[in-house]
Amino acid sequence: MKIHKKILTHYLSCTSPVDKEGYLYKKRERNTTYLRRWFVLKGNLLFYQERPGDRNLLGVIVLEGCMVQACETDGQFCFSLVFTGPGLRTYRLAADDHPSQESWIAALFCASHIYLSMIVRDLERRYEEAKRDKGLCVSIQTSEVTSAPNTIMASWYTGQPYFIQGTSIVPRDGRSYSTSSIAPTYVPNRPSNFSLHAPPAQFKATNKRSPKLWPKRNAHVTPLNGPAPSHSEWPMMGFDPLEEFSKLHEHYGNEVRQLRADWLKKKRKETGYIEEDLIDLG
Amino acid sequence: MRFNEKELVFLSRQPTQRAAELGMRGPKKGDVVKKRFVKLIVNFLFYFRTDEDEPIGALLLEQCRVEREDLQVFSIVFLDEAERKYLFECDSQEQCAEWIDAIIKASYEFMRKNLVYYRTEIHRLTGKDPLEQYGISDETRFQVNSALPPLPPPPPPT
Repeated sequence: MKIHKKILTHYLSCTSPVDKEGYLYKKRERNTTYLRRWFVLKGNLLFYQERPGDRNLLGVIVLEGCMVQACETDGQFCFSLVFTGPGLRTYRLAADDHPSQESWIAALFCASHIYLSMIVRDLERRYEEAKRDKGLCVSIQTSEVTSAPNTIMASWYTGQPYFIQGTSIVPRDGRSYSTSSIAPTYVPNRPSNFSLHAPPAQFKATNKRSPKLWPKRNAHVTPLNGPAPSHSEWPMMGFDPLEEFSKLHEHYGNEVRQLRADWLKKKRKETGYIEEDLIDLG
Repeated sequence: MRFNEKELVFLSRQPTQRAAELGMRGPKKGDVVKKRFVKLIVNFLFYFRTDEDEPIGALLLEQCRVEREDLQVFSIVFLDEAERKYLFECDSQEQCAEWIDAIIKASYEFMRKNLVYYRTEIHRLTGKDPLEQYGISDETRFQVNSALPPLPPPPPPT
């Protein structure tokens, strides 16, 4: 089967981010020797060559349908890429030290396209939920504000991942690293403090009107991959909903009270009498 | 250059929703349209001779541009070599549009951008990083600043 090598090498050398690179030892297929190679992980592809910057690419491993496993038997800091299927290969690799081994295992674990697409689908669902929970006018805003991204993201990737038995993502809880089962189970040995590089919060106290009255945003202004629009357009930013909800309730309540007062005034002028309140607004 | 061919062939045999017989023409001068069974799996486009088990080839769908050439024809250009176009003839306009859409969305880099977008938005809406529960918050590939800049707009149709 022809792999169109030029397309692969072009992808390797282009400006898209390298996910990880470094020296690893690779065991030869029919031999017990480990050879030192420079590995570059990009997307779901693991390239290797003799040295960094070498023109001659020795090989590439497509990381779909394999499990990443630490193996203690072969010696120190080893791990394998186990391709699951009849007659399929296991690549045996080794790192220089424990941190490197852990780091490579973690990176390779989440490298597959299948894994990435599962995560993205899950995030898409949670994004929709988060929008609904915030009570933003989803039906108005998503159709106008996010109409550009939605044409790309709506109903994309309809295929079933074939190595997966289910479609849910199960939180990690064990030491077997699998890219081909439903449960991502690697637990990294580092603090899970979150390191999202979002722009600094500059919450403006203005523009807290109820959602329906906000100016509609131009869909073309929203970059698909860039930072989200400025904080002043997201009224919930800076709020901890549990602590601030009463304040928010108070604020919107004031607005409603004002609107109602205006309406009542207007009505009295028109009809000349005062209606009973249907609801006791306190 | 070595690659895990057996594993890739195994991958090409998996079921997928995006598979069809299309007319395919290679990029070289003198290449003619041939009937091929084309399968889109992850970010690879496999193409087979009809009724053969092993694909003739696999095209990595990264750093490429997909364009509508005609009502039922789309092209893929790799390596920014605009003259080297792979052409695919579909049976209908609808099928053509579906394939273009599917190929664009299949790229790893496209998905990475989506992930970064959702991650950022969910964080803005909820104050939480959605990747924490998977233990992958620190992986370089998911960082906000690691997404590619947007591709330049396609040239206007001639």
